[in-house]
Amino acid sequence: MSLKEKMVSSFLAFELDTDINTSVHEIRSKSIKDFEKIGFPAKKNEYWKYTPINKVLNDKLTIFKKKRHLIEFDKVKDFFLSGIESYKIVFIDGSYDPLWSNTSHDGVDICILSSIIENKKYENLIKKHYNTIVDKNESFSLLNSSFSKEGAFIHIPKSMELDKPIEIIHINSGGESSLMLQPRNLIILEKNSKAQILESHYSLVGKNDKSPYTYPGFIDPLTNTLTEIHVKENANLDYYKIQNDLETTSLIDNTYINQKRDSEVSCHTFSFGGNIVRNNLNFFQNGQNINSIMKGITILGGNQHTDHHTLVHHANPNCESYQEYKGIYNGNSTGVFNGRVLVDKIAQKINAFQQNNNLLVGDKASVNTKPQLEIFADDVKCSHGCTIGQLDDSAMFYLKTRGISEHEAKGLLTYAFANNVLENVKMQALKNKIKKIIANKIGVNLDFEL
Amino acid sequence: MAYTEEELKKELEQQEYQYGFTTKIESETFPVGLNKDIVRKISEKKKEPKWMTDWRLSAFEAWEKMEEPEWSNVKYKKPKFQDISYYSAPKTKAKYDSLDEVDPELLKTFDKLGISIDEQKKLSGVAVDIVMDSVSVATTFKETLSKKGIIFCSISEAIQEHPDLVKKYLGTVIPKKDNFYSALNSAVFSDGSFCYIPKGVKCPMELSTYFRINQAGTGQFERTLVIADEGSYVSYLEGCTAPSRDENQLHAAVVELIALDDAEIKYSTVQNWYPGNKQGKGGVFNFVTKRGLCHENSKISWTQVETGSAVTWKYPSCILKGNNSVGEFYSIAVTNNYQQADTGTKMIHLGKNTKSTIISKGISAGKSQNSYRGLVRIGNNAENARNFSQCDSLLMGNNCGAHTFPYIEAKNKTAQIEHEATTSKIGEDQIFYCNQRGIDTEKAIALIVNGFSKEVLNKLPMEFAVEAQKLLEISLEGSVG
Amino acid sequence: MLEIKDLHVSIDDKKILKGLNLTVKAGEIHAIMGPNGSGKSTLSSVIAGNEDYEITNGSIIYKNENIEDLSAEERANKGIFMSFQYPVEIPGITVTNFIKTAINSNLKARGQKEMAANEMLKKIRDKAKLLEVDSKFLSRSLNEGFSGGEKKRNEIFQMAMLEPSLAILDETDSGLDIDALRIVANGVNKIKSSSNAIVIITHYQRLLDHIIPDYVHVLQDGKIAKSGNKELAFELEEKGYDWI
Repeated sequence: MSLKEKMVSSFLAFELDTDINTSVHEIRSKSIKDFEKIGFPAKKNEYWKYTPINKVLNDKLTIFKKKRHLIEFDKVKDFFLSGIESYKIVFIDGSYDPLWSNTSHDGVDICILSSIIENKKYENLIKKHYNTIVDKNESFSLLNSSFSKEGAFIHIPKSMELDKPIEIIHINSGGESSLMLQPRNLIILEKNSKAQILESHYSLVGKNDKSPYTYPGFIDPLTNTLTEIHVKENANLDYYKIQNDLETTSLIDNTYINQKRDSEVSCHTFSFGGNIVRNNLNFFQNGQNINSIMKGITILGGNQHTDHHTLVHHANPNCESYQEYKGIYNGNSTGVFNGRVLVDKIAQKINAFQQNNNLLVGDKASVNTKPQLEIFADDVKCSHGCTIGQLDDSAMFYLKTRGISEHEAKGLLTYAFANNVLENVKMQALKNKIKKIIANKIGVNLDFEL
Repeated sequence: MAYTEEELKKELEQQEYQYGFTTKIESETFPVGLNKDIVRKISEKKKEPKWMTDWRLSAFEAWEKMEEPEWSNVKYKKPKFQDISYYSAPKTKAKYDSLDEVDPELLKTFDKLGISIDEQKKLSGVAVDIVMDSVSVATTFKETLSKKGIIFCSISEAIQEHPDLVKKYLGTVIPKKDNFYSALNSAVFSDGSFCYIPKGVKCPMELSTYFRINQAGTGQFERTLVIADEGSYVSYLEGCTAPSRDENQLHAAVVELIALDDAEIKYSTVQNWYPGNKQGKGGVFNFVTKRGLCHENSKISWTQVETGSAVTWKYPSCILKGNNSVGEFYSIAVTNNYQQADTGTKMIHLGKNTKSTIISKGISAGKSQNSYRGLVRIGNNAENARNFSQCDSLLMGNNCGAHTFPYIEAKNKTAQIEHEATTSKIGEDQIFYCNQRGIDTEKAIALIVNGFSKEVLNKLPMEFAVEAQKLLEISLEGSVG
Repeated sequence: MLEIKDLHVSIDDKKILKGLNLTVKAGEIHAIMGPNGSGKSTLSSVIAGNEDYEITNGSIIYKNENIEDLSAEERANKGIFMSFQYPVEIPGITVTNFIKTAINSNLKARGQKEMAANEMLKKIRDKAKLLEVDSKFLSRSLNEGFSGGEKKRNEIFQMAMLEPSLAILDETDSGLDIDALRIVANGVNKIKSSSNAIVIITHYQRLLDHIIPDYVHVLQDGKIAKSGNKELAFELEEKGYDWI
């Protein structure tokens, strides 16, 4: 049986264990039907041109978990931000873990989606927001909409400036082979509210690790996550993603962000790990004076592959978008950037900027990039730039004449190359964490700040 | 006599597309439709050797199995391939020994096209091959060229006279099965130009081909093959026009360039096929495959000014196979009214120290759609490859679109690639500034567009640059409301 | 300290230095003057270890060691410093971070311990004060958006921090206004001691009003055409290079 057939036929069994009397379940039934029609992306699918996603779509993958696996805190403590108070929503193998979570219903909802879906009180809110901005023609979004029932639910009420950042952490215990996880997050920021959210995915055990669970033929978990974010008038969201997983685990991430007038959303994606990582980051601007910011640092090695697909749909006048992605590719790794800016006819006075810079370091590393503009309005300022290259020779020489070793000079320049993406990270604890990961990745020690 | 308003109006109407006349000369035209028999008949008509007939038939077989591509960013009613006649020739003597023998109607046509052959012969020293509908009707300056060993003739003639060269190179850069339209062309091409520059020879004059679709209900499928042998140089120009007709005419050409070691080919096109009327009716479908192969230290430079055609689908490309080879692409694409263009280039870097430059300027007006689509690929072994690309779009009015689809693929860590793109409109302040200095808006726009396109216009040979500049102005007339 | 013997240098097969001789002892200041294209910048690049240049003949002996095969950073580790005519801009790295990395790299190469953060800070503040460098300047990206004068001052600041044995100042005076020139010259004079040596490469005599050289050499067509004392510089200024 192909994986597609297997997924479709799993739906009946999935329903048995699911509350089917909710509005969300209608969406699930519809989605699985649509998925059955499209299936997984075909080989020649332009949207998947540079990412061999079929490589990770193993027939043995299943959405059913056999049992709950326990994890020691020591193994996961580094995943959390340190030296800072935060709300936490933690999932292990797709199930909520109350032990390490720190949720709230105190004037704000920072909790789990399953409890909200089944709660009559939230019925209208769910109807208004759930699955309303998701691409109904995208295979993995449909699959997630079919099978997801757990994830973070965040609802920030009007005019609230959230006191602490929120961490959403998904952990794969690696306790069993072939698991396909379908986390789903729904985030709503009401008018004039403000929040900072950090989302990360980690796996504890991969097929190359020695563990009681792994065995020859062990298949790493595949995470197919979907996040829907609604940002209302004049609200402000900083969203951060850390993708620093094992070299063997893969991630497909669909994020949909719907912005209303005067709102600002920035999304930083830090991709340092994983086997195949695919990000589909979609922004819809439904109002004037909106600002959408996308930034990313990707540092890969080995046979890793990361693909950033972004879409900004400028559907209204007087808006801005800003994209800046930097990639550093070692070993045999490959990077993809496909940035799409779409400007509707009525969307005059748009300022759209797109920049993608890449350093090719590894002998077998490669980069595919496609910054694409589709413009139907005339009074706009749109530009994109992209570079692929190496570290500057004259800068290397300059550093060496100051006595800095080749290795360290390379590290320093590489760090400098990526550094400005961090400029707008407002959470200092996170900034430190990322800097540490980068320094570690490129093998330099740069803990000194005046 | 006073010049009346009526006359002015008439003149302006003609301005729209001044090449939109038809020539009343008798033509021999095949019945519509395409099958193996037609392919055989074309080959027979041209008295081709068997290898050529077989070559065509295998292309036809491949074409039958292929589907018309849909990936480009253009929308059009697909041509009905069985409703087109695949062969039409002016019904006169097959080939002229001198211009004096040419049908005077034909000569008049060329005059109207602005290519008075006589004059050209004397003044500008441009050798011209003229392809009307599908047949090459006149080649000038043959003798002068042959003294240097340069072969410049119609491809039909080359198949007869220089079969070894044709056999060796035809279809080597663009295989028969490369794509839907190249397969179609390979099966049915009726004529085109052939050019061979021997080792070490610098071609002393610009070579030029003028294409004209005259007959109704025909498609034009010409085939061009240019071979620059080691250390040689040639500059090649190509121009095209077609009568204004209500139905869409199909033009599916194939151009292959081969630059052997240390050779240089400069290929310039001014494409001005009939774009259709203001309502988007009629016009030429221009589905063209152009590609050049660079051997060591060689250079191929494409320059194009695309102002005509209802739909354009065209990517003049370079395969930089030899070490130190250079590919260039300079393009201006103007779309107005309902025109659609999806054009760009592919630079395939295979050799070491290969370099490519892409400068593309798109200007959209009216209700047109203008897309740049390009590929820069640096292969595994292409050490120290360099590419610089710049794609700028200018939008005029709010009913058109400008799109950019650059694909960049680097598989070698020594690659250096820089790509920039901008989209903007003509600033009102710029126009006002011109107005204030007494320049009317139409002229001001021409001025600004000219400045925007300068980098590319400068790459054209002198004779063409002037024509291209005029074309830009005409194409954009009435684009400001 | 430095002994250059019959040095021939080419770049891309073009001969630039054609048998240059120069001896610099500790405690000395040498000025090398010459018209454009005489090979002044080639000389400094080749001493600093720029691999674009090829030594076809002759030798560069520094502290009794032939340094031809040493990399740029090895030479720096041994105390050779070059102030660049066109300092490189490196966005994303602060001046402080850069200088700290440089100092620790040099210490490490010499088998010494890294400098403690507080000691480093103190040293940075002291030297910044010495060269009238604003502290805001220290947290800016290296040379990015710096004016010509700021770049040169930053070079001398780095020199003060790294305390080299041999400093080569390549056209350090170009692009400086009179105040900046005075600050740079003061800095150089304060750093100067009996144990280090300075080679000033310059087109004009301007900087030599503030830093008095012990020797002046005129470089012409890849060779030292004339050597003398400070007076030679004045003469050159007056009569031009054609006079030689």
